[in-house]
Amino acid sequence: MFTNCSLGHCHIIVAVVLWSICVDSRKIRGISLSYKRFYRERKSFLCIDGSKMIPFDQVNDDYCDCMDGSDEPGTAACPTGRFYCTNLGYRSHYIPSSRVNDGICDCCDASDEYRSQTPCQNTCRNLGQRERAEVEGQTRVLGERLRLKQLLIEEGVLTWREKQAQLRDLQRVSDDLQTQLDDLRKEEARRKEEADALREREIGARETADNSPTSHYRPESPISVFKELDSNRDGSITVDEVQAKLSPVQDEEHALSEDEAVALLGGAHRVDLSRFEETLWTSLRTGDSVTIKGRRGVPGSLADEDPNIKAAVSAAEKASADLKRVEDAYETVYMEIRDLREKLSIDYGSEREFLFLHDQCFQLKVYEYIYELCPFSQVTQKSASGEVVSLGKWGSWAGPPENPYCQMRYESGEPCWQGPTRNTMVMLICGTETALRSVKEPSKCQYVMELQTPVSCQPALRQRGVHSEL
Amino acid sequence: MGPLLVLWLAVFLSGTWAVDRGNFKTCDQSAFCKRQRALKPGQSPYRALLETLELTNTKLTLQLINDNNKVRLLLELYRLQGNMTRVKINELKPLKPRFEVPDVLINDPPTEPLSLLSQDENGVVLSLGADSQWLIVSAKPFRLDIMEGREVLLSLNSRGLLAFEHLRIRKDTISYKIKNKVYSAWENIKWVFSRLPKSSQVDPEGAEKKEETDAANEPAEGEVCVCVCTAKEDGMWEETFKSHTDNKPNGPSSISLDFSLPGVEHVYGIPEHADSLKLKTTDGGDPYRLFNLDVFQYELFNPMALYGAIPVMLSHSAQRTMGIFWLNAAETWVDISSNTAGKTVFGQMLDYVQGSSETPQTDVRWISESGIIDVFIMLGPTPTDVFSQYASLTGTQAFPPLSALAYHQCRWNYNDQEDVAAVDQGFDEHDIPYDFIWLDIEHTDGKRYFTWDPHKFPQPKDMLQGLVDKRRKMVTIVDPHIKVDSSYKIHNEIRSKGFYVKNKDGGDYEGWCWPGNSGYPDFTNPEMRAWWASMFAYDQYEGSMENMYTWNDMNEPSVFNGPEVTMHKDALHGNWENRDLHNLYGLYVQMATAEGLIERSGGVERPFVLTRAFFAGSQRYGAVWTGDNTAEWEHLKISIPMCLSLGLVGVSFCGADVGGFFKSPSTELLVRWYQTGAYQPFFRAHAHLDTPRREPWLFGPENTALIREAVRQRYALLPYWYQLFYHAHHSGQPVMRPLWVEYPQDTATFSMDDQFLLGEDLLVHPVTEEGGRGVTAYLPGKGEATALFCVLQVWFDVHTFQKHNGAQNLYIPVTISSIPVFQRGGSIIPRKARVRRSSSCMEHDPYTLFVALSPKRFAQGELYIDDGHTFNFDKQKQFIHRRLSFANKALSSRNLAPGSQFITPSWIEKIVILGASKPSKATLKTPDGKENLLEFEFDASMSVLTLRKPGVNAGVDWTVVLQ
Repeated sequence: MFTNCSLGHCHIIVAVVLWSICVDSRKIRGISLSYKRFYRERKSFLCIDGSKMIPFDQVNDDYCDCMDGSDEPGTAACPTGRFYCTNLGYRSHYIPSSRVNDGICDCCDASDEYRSQTPCQNTCRNLGQRERAEVEGQTRVLGERLRLKQLLIEEGVLTWREKQAQLRDLQRVSDDLQTQLDDLRKEEARRKEEADALREREIGARETADNSPTSHYRPESPISVFKELDSNRDGSITVDEVQAKLSPVQDEEHALSEDEAVALLGGAHRVDLSRFEETLWTSLRTGDSVTIKGRRGVPGSLADEDPNIKAAVSAAEKASADLKRVEDAYETVYMEIRDLREKLSIDYGSEREFLFLHDQCFQLKVYEYIYELCPFSQVTQKSASGEVVSLGKWGSWAGPPENPYCQMRYESGEPCWQGPTRNTMVMLICGTETALRSVKEPSKCQYVMELQTPVSCQPALRQRGVHSEL
Repeated sequence: MGPLLVLWLAVFLSGTWAVDRGNFKTCDQSAFCKRQRALKPGQSPYRALLETLELTNTKLTLQLINDNNKVRLLLELYRLQGNMTRVKINELKPLKPRFEVPDVLINDPPTEPLSLLSQDENGVVLSLGADSQWLIVSAKPFRLDIMEGREVLLSLNSRGLLAFEHLRIRKDTISYKIKNKVYSAWENIKWVFSRLPKSSQVDPEGAEKKEETDAANEPAEGEVCVCVCTAKEDGMWEETFKSHTDNKPNGPSSISLDFSLPGVEHVYGIPEHADSLKLKTTDGGDPYRLFNLDVFQYELFNPMALYGAIPVMLSHSAQRTMGIFWLNAAETWVDISSNTAGKTVFGQMLDYVQGSSETPQTDVRWISESGIIDVFIMLGPTPTDVFSQYASLTGTQAFPPLSALAYHQCRWNYNDQEDVAAVDQGFDEHDIPYDFIWLDIEHTDGKRYFTWDPHKFPQPKDMLQGLVDKRRKMVTIVDPHIKVDSSYKIHNEIRSKGFYVKNKDGGDYEGWCWPGNSGYPDFTNPEMRAWWASMFAYDQYEGSMENMYTWNDMNEPSVFNGPEVTMHKDALHGNWENRDLHNLYGLYVQMATAEGLIERSGGVERPFVLTRAFFAGSQRYGAVWTGDNTAEWEHLKISIPMCLSLGLVGVSFCGADVGGFFKSPSTELLVRWYQTGAYQPFFRAHAHLDTPRREPWLFGPENTALIREAVRQRYALLPYWYQLFYHAHHSGQPVMRPLWVEYPQDTATFSMDDQFLLGEDLLVHPVTEEGGRGVTAYLPGKGEATALFCVLQVWFDVHTFQKHNGAQNLYIPVTISSIPVFQRGGSIIPRKARVRRSSSCMEHDPYTLFVALSPKRFAQGELYIDDGHTFNFDKQKQFIHRRLSFANKALSSRNLAPGSQFITPSWIEKIVILGASKPSKATLKTPDGKENLLEFEFDASMSVLTLRKPGVNAGVDWTVVLQ
């Protein structure tokens, strides 16, 4: 059903057949001028395929003698035969022999119904006139459409270049960011190391001066606090230890309940160092709920007092933040490049004439539904109640090999009840405006749309319709 | 474990894509079937009261008594013209009349006098005419035997399974029980004494009596409970299936009778079932069920009921063909068993018969829920005789318009006028002929039949005119469920005229179908039918035209929310319950519709109406199809036995949805289905709404060409199809036949499901196997013993003209383009070689005659021609019917119907003689005395002689002499 694309009306150009008046004494019905040479009146007739010789009076005698049907061009006798509608004033064409004298007017010159009851009128003149007028109109329109097409192609070329440039720019930015990332990663690692080293040193210092009351101002690391709270030095802090060592900030006399202690340990009864850092250490650092008994201030904040460490930590944090920012930027650029590459990898036609459709969407309302086609992206159907159903995502061009760009396939839409997924075939037809012309559902969940656009207009088709026999 | 697992798997797997069996009753779930089937063969409690015998010119009447409950029945015996016997059994004095099926018999069957040969206290012997046929009535127990000479052809109640549930007052109510307690106790004592010697016996009457009396012995308190429970269990007064309760105000009313067929191993018919042609025995499974139902995704090879029911069974053996027509429209079950148990033949005339106990025998038992026993025994003896006998009772196949025999293009749904035009155009572009395009339910305005969707079909007449211009036609669907909608004219009229079926409480019966809540017109009411018919008038059915015909679907009727997806049995059609006449509803719908199409043309044009539901007699109104099948190879195969079964019981115009309705066929399956369908009577492609499009040109040029070729073969053969339908209409002979019909003594043909005959002359063995590389066709014809000389039958391949001997299994290698078809040597088949866009376009085309010579250089055939669409063939004898015969090197055409008159422009274009020898000359002689030499060609390799252009008019006498 979808293998042949209608190419619109533009191809209908009347064939002006130079018809020489038949001067033969006997007119052979149903043949074209070019076949006339086979039917010169002689004693006998050789079937055109050469298979058989018959008396000439058996030509068009309403009995099929030749396998190829060539002896009965003007009757319905041969199953494989064909009848030539001369259709003077309009287009000539062949019809199958079975349509000769079948009571249906097929040739506009009525020549096929020479022996049937059906009165057929010669309508070729009218048809020809109408068609010529139409064709003239269309030729004019076609010129305009082809001009539009050219513009769109040019637009496409520009867009293509623009996109290519954009891609190059992005690539460059991406490369830059890559370099920056390398530097920043090193920088961050270095800063972190420095800060950690300073801290370690401090902790070491604190441990040596553990008994000194003057150690009040030394900076505290999670490790040191952990060790301080771990009274039995078993490498973990228990609820008991928390209750013994900690008190609420506001009321140092008040002891913590077991529930509160468990909550501080993140819901556990026992935590190791790493869990401690995630749970209790955080609470201690903020310092607004609990504190170590007999201690003023927030443990972590002690570090701020040491300008060296403070500087190192903040430098590390800054390096980390810088890295994050560049990483984000890189990610963004990377995605953009990917999207762009994806877009650019789509086949937009031999001249990229369909590129302009990208990023556009077209709508059409049919009964209670609004259909939307976003070329190279997706097709949707929106019901009156606002429900949106996918009728398919961009799949591929699907026209016949000689004209692949006349159909688009959108596939893998929303699945149908008890059936396959919805899909849509978009037929591209020639027209002045680019617009969605029709939507149909010939089989359940299989949609067919017509998208009209000047880009689908073909100048080459001007030649079509000229009689091929001449 | 093994078999159990397999069974479990089978049940499990079949559940995934098949019928939901739980929606439909088994015999066990159908109370009367369960009750009746519980009875085992034994001595019958029924006794003929010979003193009541009355013999008139037309019938014999006799009372029967059930010795268990003393209820009397009235037996009527008729000898009917044409070698048939009718047996009617009703209650002598029923509480109220019991239903007798109207409108199925075409007339009161003419009788012939019975004569009494002998009578004594054991029974009577009656003569059934000259053929030494006797009917023996035995008194105790009651039994009927039909004899021919020494042979018992058929026995009734020989297994004692006659059971007639008489109408009764409900007895399980408290007041009744108390009132009758004393009486019951007395009855009980009587019963015990009378039953003592035969205690093993049970029958429904006895069983019921026993329950009553048992209950009567219980203390009063327990009594009511016991009785009510019993009544519920045996479903006599009420039964529940799934959520549906069937109220039975009339109580139990079922009937049953057994038939024994000595010497018979093959029985056929009782459609509609998706099963093999030869019926299977039902021991250990359910009986075959006859109850018109809309079965979603039906399963193959089981006895479940389907859309239609024709209670006619044929028995066949090499000696004789007979038929049993059980005229009852209620739910019916048919048990078939086969045994070689000795038959007790008795009576003074029969003593010498005994001793042949090895004879195979088929026993059949019919069970129906209500009505009376009314059986027609068609005694044959040949298949042709049985067809004529059945036709004399219920009429013959409607003679369809010629175009209806051509190809039909259908789909649920062609969406709009544009779609119709595009499909029409598609056929022309691909040069494939078709005659009818169909519109399913979506063409209507909201499933309101007789209307059009205003958006999709705004100008139906323009669309129809477009088809007229191509000499093509359309069918629109008109279903019998009517949307309950006060703005819908059809509904309002039916309601105001009181034409709807009523529910048990007297209100309009309503159920769910396509339009939602729907009413169901009471088609059993003749006034309703007349009104319905008038709705098809051109001024009533807006947008209709002469080339628009009708399709009746869902007429079982389908009720989505009803018990078993159909109407409640206690729904009322006037005074009768749906229970009494359920299987008739569909017939009436098609009857009224066909009548409408006739009336709209002033009685001139033949109608064409397709129906899904049917009953005996439906053949008079049009075509049937096998319903919603599936796009699977097995469904393609089953189309053959399903249509053969229908053909045997009168319905020749049968087809299956080409391609399969549910699911999507593979391309190969679709092609094979076209090839098979092209050689089946009703040739229509159809597809479900959810399936992808499958018009013939959508599968690539090669497949388009294959389908085109299959359809073209159909069109070329239309003259023969038309002639076969003329015969089906004229004499009731089936169009599509099992081989045994023509070769009744060839036992090899008795159970064939994969090949068939069209008429007597074409044998078709379509390829129905996936990836088939070859088929083995059985070519019959041993040279029947009737001929003095025993000459083998020959068959000619219709495509290659190659000759094959009969009485052999012929292996035929096949390709995807093969449709194995053979013409019988000795036949002449007319074809039209100029296949055009539609059959109408071919009306005046010339004929090609294919003369296939028998080994004795003889052939015979016919040519039937009329206008193709009016009743003038019948009313004014406007037709041509000619005998074509080839003998003594001369082929001639002679008038077979001297009283007829018709002028055709068609002529004889070509004569192809198969199995011929080369003549020196061929001379055509016409009645005007002229003689013309004909040119000819002779193909010595195939012995085919082709005579060029005789040119003589098809309606005149002529002779071609070969020298």
